[in-house]
Amino acid sequence: MPDMMNILDLTLKPGAAPFSTGLRAGEILGLAGLDGHGQEVFLRRLAGLERSAGGLEMQGRAINAARDAERNGVVYVPRDRRSTGIFPGLSILDNFAIATAGRDRRGVFISTRARRARYDRWKERLKIVAPSPEAPITALSGGNQQKVLLARALARDPKVLLLNDPTRGVDVATRHVLYDLFRDLAAEGMALVILSSEIEEILVLCDRVLVFRDHAMAAEMSGAAMQTGSVIAAMFGRAA
Amino acid sequence: MTRILGRNGFALAILAVLLAANLMMNPARFHPAAWGTLLGMAAPLIGAALASTPVILAGRGGIDISVGPVMGLVGAVVIKLLFLGAGISSPFLLWPAALAIGAAIGAFNGFMAVVVRVQPIVATLGTYLILGGVTLTILPAPVGPAPDWLKAMAGGWSFLPLGLIALSWCALTRLPFHGQLMAVGSDDRAAYTAGVNVSLVRFLAYVLTGLLAGAAGMMLTALIGSADPKVGANYTLIAIAAVALGGVSLAGGRGGLLGAAIGAIDIFLLQSLLTTLNVSTYVLQVAYGAILVTAVVLIALQDRHAERSPA
Repeated sequence: MPDMMNILDLTLKPGAAPFSTGLRAGEILGLAGLDGHGQEVFLRRLAGLERSAGGLEMQGRAINAARDAERNGVVYVPRDRRSTGIFPGLSILDNFAIATAGRDRRGVFISTRARRARYDRWKERLKIVAPSPEAPITALSGGNQQKVLLARALARDPKVLLLNDPTRGVDVATRHVLYDLFRDLAAEGMALVILSSEIEEILVLCDRVLVFRDHAMAAEMSGAAMQTGSVIAAMFGRAA
Repeated sequence: MTRILGRNGFALAILAVLLAANLMMNPARFHPAAWGTLLGMAAPLIGAALASTPVILAGRGGIDISVGPVMGLVGAVVIKLLFLGAGISSPFLLWPAALAIGAAIGAFNGFMAVVVRVQPIVATLGTYLILGGVTLTILPAPVGPAPDWLKAMAGGWSFLPLGLIALSWCALTRLPFHGQLMAVGSDDRAAYTAGVNVSLVRFLAYVLTGLLAGAAGMMLTALIGSADPKVGANYTLIAIAAVALGGVSLAGGRGGLLGAAIGAIDIFLLQSLLTTLNVSTYVLQVAYGAILVTAVVLIALQDRHAERSPA
């Protein structure tokens, strides 16, 4: 019985086959599929950013909108950094703190020192390489921008972290930092759902993978059954 | 500090040049002893520019062209209905009344633009027309006088309302709201994904604009010492010009009240200089337009340069 999220008869698109699955605490779930076969819709549905028929509940509470997701500690990290992630006009520090601005309050006003202390903790944990936190976020490399976005998401203390292609356009060294981080987070009891366009990434990182085809779940694999060949076969709709 | 200079650099440069020219051409009017009166004369425009800023910062075509008519309505209600009609003269009643009128109209604009989702320019154009008519119904012809304490706010006490606005804004920049406003203005989709309540932030921006427009209405009433149903509406467009001149991006998310105030002072100084030189008011209009276009082009070039150089 999944203890984090329960997905019951979800239909990602009118006419698509419904499916049910779940998510456990401490689990890393991978989503695979050819581009546009519904895995992204599914991930955004978990974040309450898409509507669909069928039920999604988290520890007994339904998630149907972004507000529900936020209340239940479900946090989404978007894929397209440039258009839906960073705020190019704001500093690194403000980009980090925007989702959790209220926590830096000391009395009524925001304390810059409290905010910097909070940022420094994440900076260290994520090994963010940045000049001053006051520098514009656009001064950072793609990998470091992604780390700032992750820090922003993690600062919200998520129970479920939804990652849309988190290592896209990120250099190899940074990737390994992120992989270690994801494993640590899962070990601490967070549930992670990772959509990736690279099958190898899913195979090294995930405990279980859902393969999507035609906006439905074509296969669910875990353990030894997770092989490059069988995932690809499911992506193309062939029996393994 | 460099960031403040960077965005307002152009407006500050014009400010320095115009101030020097004004001091040379008209030393009596710009004598330090007359600064209170001078600020009082500039105050309605500064107030209108400040009022126009929050909705513009909130982005996605946010604009409030009803700022001018709100100023007119505030004068009409405060002087005709409350002061002369009901005999209320305490600043501690009239100021809250003015701010409440502004905030209520701001809330209406916010409701139309954010909840009903009418384009802001159309929504506030509706408000502009309605308020113009309401003001003329309340007050068909100018009437006065204003209470003495209010008239003093266009003289020696003119720094008081502007100073209070400046203090409140400084406080506001240290609240979560300010960061969220700038984030929503620079990219509302990213802000939504990051868990910011985009609609609420935008709505509050309209309320804030209304509040400031109410204050600007009081400053206008103080300056003319009476209520005039027709002068308010003139401030709408020139205030938006001041905002653009002050480096506030009309696309949202960039700039602040300081820039808008500097832009308004620029326009006031230009007006003052050309009047001293006995230039016709028609030429004055041309000068406003020319300086606005130049400023906006230069700011756009500066932004483009800043985006290219990675630092």
